[in-house]
Amino acid sequence: MGPSARLIQRLNRGVKSPNGRWEFVREHAFGDELRLQRYRLGNGLTVLTLVDRSAPTVSYHTWLRVGSRDEQPGKTGLAHLFEHLMFNETKNHPYGEFDRLMEQAGVEVNAATWTDWTYYYENAPRAALPLLIELEADRMQNLVLRSDQVASEKEVVVNERKLRVDDHVEGTAVEQLYRHSFRRHPYGWPTIGWMNDIRAFTVDDCRRFYRAHYAPNRATVVIVGDFQEQRALSLVQQHYGRLRATRSTRTDRVRPEPAPRSERLVRLQAPTPTAKLLLGYRSPAFSDRQMPALSLASDILFGGRSSRLYRLLCVEKEVSTSIRGSVAPFRDPGLFEVWASLQEGKTPREALTLIDGEIARLASKGPTANELEKAINQTELSFLHGMETAGGKAEQIGFYETVVGNGAAVFERLRALQSVTSDQVKKAVARVLIPSRRTRVEVLPGAA
Amino acid sequence: MSPSRSSKVRASPKTPRLLVETSRVLPMVDIEIAMPVGSLQDPPGKEGLAQLTGALMRRGPRGLSPERFEERLARLGARMSIDVEMRSTRVRATVVRRHLDSLLALVAETLWQPAFRASDFARLKRHARAALVSSLDDDQTLGAGCLRQKLFEGHPYGRRLGGNASSLRRIALNDARTFYTRYLTQVPFVIGAAGDVADAELDALIRKRFPRPTEKKRNGKVTVPAPRMPKGRHVIIVDKPDRVQTQLFIGTLGIRTRDRRLFPLLVSNTAFGGMFSSKLMQEVRAARGWSYGAFSRLSHADQRDAWYMWTAPSSDYSAECAKLQIDLLEHWVERGVSRTELRFAKDYLVNSHCFDRDTPSKRLEARIDIEVLGLPRSYVYNYAERIRRVTHPDAKEATAALISPRDLTIVVVASAPKVEAAFAQLPNVADLQIVPFESLRA
Repeated sequence: MGPSARLIQRLNRGVKSPNGRWEFVREHAFGDELRLQRYRLGNGLTVLTLVDRSAPTVSYHTWLRVGSRDEQPGKTGLAHLFEHLMFNETKNHPYGEFDRLMEQAGVEVNAATWTDWTYYYENAPRAALPLLIELEADRMQNLVLRSDQVASEKEVVVNERKLRVDDHVEGTAVEQLYRHSFRRHPYGWPTIGWMNDIRAFTVDDCRRFYRAHYAPNRATVVIVGDFQEQRALSLVQQHYGRLRATRSTRTDRVRPEPAPRSERLVRLQAPTPTAKLLLGYRSPAFSDRQMPALSLASDILFGGRSSRLYRLLCVEKEVSTSIRGSVAPFRDPGLFEVWASLQEGKTPREALTLIDGEIARLASKGPTANELEKAINQTELSFLHGMETAGGKAEQIGFYETVVGNGAAVFERLRALQSVTSDQVKKAVARVLIPSRRTRVEVLPGAA
Repeated sequence: MSPSRSSKVRASPKTPRLLVETSRVLPMVDIEIAMPVGSLQDPPGKEGLAQLTGALMRRGPRGLSPERFEERLARLGARMSIDVEMRSTRVRATVVRRHLDSLLALVAETLWQPAFRASDFARLKRHARAALVSSLDDDQTLGAGCLRQKLFEGHPYGRRLGGNASSLRRIALNDARTFYTRYLTQVPFVIGAAGDVADAELDALIRKRFPRPTEKKRNGKVTVPAPRMPKGRHVIIVDKPDRVQTQLFIGTLGIRTRDRRLFPLLVSNTAFGGMFSSKLMQEVRAARGWSYGAFSRLSHADQRDAWYMWTAPSSDYSAECAKLQIDLLEHWVERGVSRTELRFAKDYLVNSHCFDRDTPSKRLEARIDIEVLGLPRSYVYNYAERIRRVTHPDAKEATAALISPRDLTIVVVASAPKVEAAFAQLPNVADLQIVPFESLRA
């Protein structure tokens, strides 16, 4: 019996409620020093721990398997609004106390919502861990929703939408890209929600959403940093062990999006001095085996100043001031996005011709060995950067756990990328970056 | 923060000053070479020169085309930037551990043998002009830039790092060459490394790759006069069509780095607008839902830098939000923060200080600031103690003495017809100016 299994045996001694009994699942090693441990409580809560004493801090992440894909037309934006409401009062803590207790302890608190997930995080001095566990467990099932607080938070979200979308050229363009790319699948509506839906939410909508999605069996807790594992697990057991699992199951049966048969074109006008071009190619799910090759293709085309399209569009032809590309890290097939901000007087057509030509070249001849080596080295550096802080590690682990179903997969990602061949990159580009399977958004200067 | 055992500051006639923060957790190294030269050295009428010179150096050394230079960096799995700020230029590079030696060689060539090609210079000037145009898309950047220009009108602190369309036109390649030889090769510099490298290793690599420093003729210090406070309340509307929301900045002069009231004012400002629980955020966002964010910021430099509040309310109630913020500001300056608020802010600042030093690169950055910006060592090494020592009377006195609610620069990025009348009604406004947003690149 290993040390983790023995630890669980000690923690379960005298615990009668099945909800509060621990199970040790497995251990994954990362390098010589770091070990990721996977535990599960009887009520279904998954807990992943990684002790890293390089700084006197701890990062505590709560990842919930609920995002905008779990919403319905007419109720878009509810997952995101709910993320805001989670900072309000609970049965045990009056309004405002959550933030006050956290800030007084020097804790950095925030949250995010996207298509497939919602997560809450705290980056804290190590001494604050008991407080984090108590407050996070409390708000997972004891939230109080009052109409005045819901009304005020809706107004905040309305303002957030104006800030990020309505008055933001890129925000507007991206919203239109997804709207026209996904006509059936929930990825077609914005995570922040349509304005009319945000304004129409009721307290009852929020209560139903909370009951359906906020429960230990829908969550993963990730703890990374300088902490004592036995003490942390004991506190998690004490506070979460009382919570009940939800019986509602996730709406995994979303309507799949058929592949487009021809290019879709959207033209917008906006008060901007220069034109923009946004492309979205239908791409595979994040867990798809083509993804490492596609990710390297993205680096070869857009990653840094030596990438093909940066050199072509920004340096040689001076058509764009910036260009970038990335693959959406979604559970279901998403988009490979390309964004180009053009120089004054240049047209989207000029940029598109260059982009199409270079993608076609990559699809027919593949990358050189040198390009592949560069992309792998750059990816390695990005990976290491992401792992620098306790918060960075916790975020990566929580994301992989929620989207891929295995938090430890983050440590295998680099190896997967290092084994990609030129031929795989070539094939991935040829399969995915096809003009007839994309949506094109052109933003032109002028009054909206 | 206390100095780690594996780090040291050393300078001898044969090697430059080295700072090292060792951490073996991840196989990567951050390198930073910092010099006390920045946009404050831009000659009048040639604003943007320091940044353009940095960008030109970043095109690589003699004997390597920019394309080959980028190829070499990318093959090493390295990133490199030359960041020019108001008071410093910092060459930052990051690399996977196994390529550290090769990266240092490339950085050294870039720094000491920059190519300064005419073709690169012409291209960079075009890029700089294009970047000015692109910046017009971001309302928050527009508002922040406009506030600084108006608050420090005619003063070096009001200069835009990237210059403007007319100053860029005046800059020639020779200006960049002269700037480089006159400042960047003549001031003392610091080399820092953070991550998977030890003192002795770095020392040996630097000796191998960097030239011996020559005697420095300049200390890089620029003396700037004290900025003059713009008296009264001035509203500037940056007019942009089709806005449903506004970006609202309300600012005045703040404090000098070496003012003894810096820490009392820092704590007082944190209580007022530096946290989610602060009064400003609670009144604007939590109680009314008027803005996604609401904060106040205090900057400091050799002379008084800016203090300002930021919110992003809807056009419908932007002026009402500005009025509320001014009322809160007046109350703060007149009455100070309560003892409970002060204690809370001190706890927050002391407890969260661990995030200023939780990575080797952050610890290195703080030490470089001491060396290059002349930040007092006690600000870094005795931060918590200095915060704890702040008393309620100190905080009240510092706020009342330094923050002037009578003298405010109010910048709002908005569609002018929607907000002009309401902003003109704000109490004690001396004048209201409407500026077309496109004019901010001029």
